[in-house]
Amino acid sequence: MLFTQCSIVRGKWGDCELRMAGDGSQEADNAEAIISRIEQKSQKIETLLKQSKPVEALKMALEGSPPNTKDERCKSANWIAVHRALMAVRDVDGMLAYLDPEYYDILMKYLYRGLSTGDRPTCEQCLKIHEKLTDKAGPGCILRSLADTVNTV
Amino acid sequence: MVSIQQFSECITCHAWSPDQTMVAFCPNNTEVHIYKTVAEKWEKVHILQKHDQIISSIDWSIKTNRIVTASHDRNSYVWNLKMSEWVPSLVILRLNRAALCVKWSPEENKFAVGSGAKTVCVCYYEQENDWWISKLIRKKHNSSVTSIAWHPENILLATTSTDGKCRVFSTFIKGVDTRDSRTGAGSRFGEQIMQLDLSHTWTFGVKWSPCGDTLAYTGQDSMIYFVGDIGVSPTAQSLAFRHLPLRDVLFVSEKMLIGVGFDCEPMVFAADGSGTWSFISLLEKKTAPSGSKYGSQFTGAFGKFYGQSKHGSSNDLIEPAKPRGGAHENCITCIIPIKKEGETWTGRFSTSGLDGKIVTWELENYIDILR
Repeated sequence: MLFTQCSIVRGKWGDCELRMAGDGSQEADNAEAIISRIEQKSQKIETLLKQSKPVEALKMALEGSPPNTKDERCKSANWIAVHRALMAVRDVDGMLAYLDPEYYDILMKYLYRGLSTGDRPTCEQCLKIHEKLTDKAGPGCILRSLADTVNTV
Repeated sequence: MVSIQQFSECITCHAWSPDQTMVAFCPNNTEVHIYKTVAEKWEKVHILQKHDQIISSIDWSIKTNRIVTASHDRNSYVWNLKMSEWVPSLVILRLNRAALCVKWSPEENKFAVGSGAKTVCVCYYEQENDWWISKLIRKKHNSSVTSIAWHPENILLATTSTDGKCRVFSTFIKGVDTRDSRTGAGSRFGEQIMQLDLSHTWTFGVKWSPCGDTLAYTGQDSMIYFVGDIGVSPTAQSLAFRHLPLRDVLFVSEKMLIGVGFDCEPMVFAADGSGTWSFISLLEKKTAPSGSKYGSQFTGAFGKFYGQSKHGSSNDLIEPAKPRGGAHENCITCIIPIKKEGETWTGRFSTSGLDGKIVTWELENYIDILR
């Protein structure tokens, strides 16, 4: 089971507010900085894919996702990086065994983004992973990915 | 043993009499039905009729033996037993949307109502007018108030809302409350003490632990939130679980909590020595066959989703959902402790839900879970 320990942002008894760690506590970077970081990430993903390490590539792609911004270009750029790694995965069971549970929710969000493209190979791959991931992470994981309307991918 | 009683098609809420021989529930309509156990059998003894729309919540006070009801008709009634008849007295809440939840305060001199009008009503009795007065906490919630919980010291009130927040308010009323409580001292009515900003989705089922040191509530995203050390330096923990979301929770002790909801089986959560909460197990009906998880409810839907090749039938006929073999067959919406006044450990509790059953659970049957 996963849990996040949370920190207090403003902590005076009488007027305190608790937020999830790493969530909105810092102002989002500007879109250009995020795009250039995703580009660097994409290059590393390509290198890992050339070395036939698709699972490491996927983990790298999911790292820092979704980008902490409302900018659709950033979200698309990150999706392209995730999609590239996702499509290279052959051994789904091995991938899920390697991936830490903290990545399950974000992976599920990208699977739904993949399914929404309507592209046949993408959908087939996403459905295949979706089935195995649901076995592993339960319907709660689906609920978390669908119910979160703030950190969209 | 787990006892299961089918009372109606659907139950919106239920509550127990102070001596636990009677249960009051709303069978998804405008009435409250009160049943009594007579020689191991349930017998209908009263029907309370006064509301115009569905009753969303019932609470039965232990010390004063009064029933309060809240309804979508925007009103509450306080029912007093006089000469074996339940006599209603109308409480005008001054709401323009449905009343959703109601709870007596621990001292039973006030009760609170959460509503769809983004408002909480705190009601108290005025002797000289023989009338319940409703004071409103306005403009603090951005959406419907889904549940409310009283701190054991009678002043602080916690709320959850569909705006994703959990909040704590002072309900100090001059002439009703005294200034000697530890929490909420010096606060004025309606003052917001705390806002918890942990969830991005609807929140439900807020409860205080028996001492009032821990607050727990749930999110529609299969998360449960625990806030500890309230009053000193609050710490929060968000716990994700693999099952469907919870609707209501109950602290059975300071370190153990039962959650109920869309998964149809109660879930046990416990805190370890350091105060870190974790999911322990599902409370299954003892006789239930341990079949495949999510079999009946999900196979059909997932079969369609995955193209059906691996999930049985090749045509479009989906088998009707079979009974799951659990105590409840639909979403559980309500969990109520069954305990005498002054007890700290809740060994028995009851659950009701959309399947119209009230199930009574004995935790002693689950020693293995209680370790």
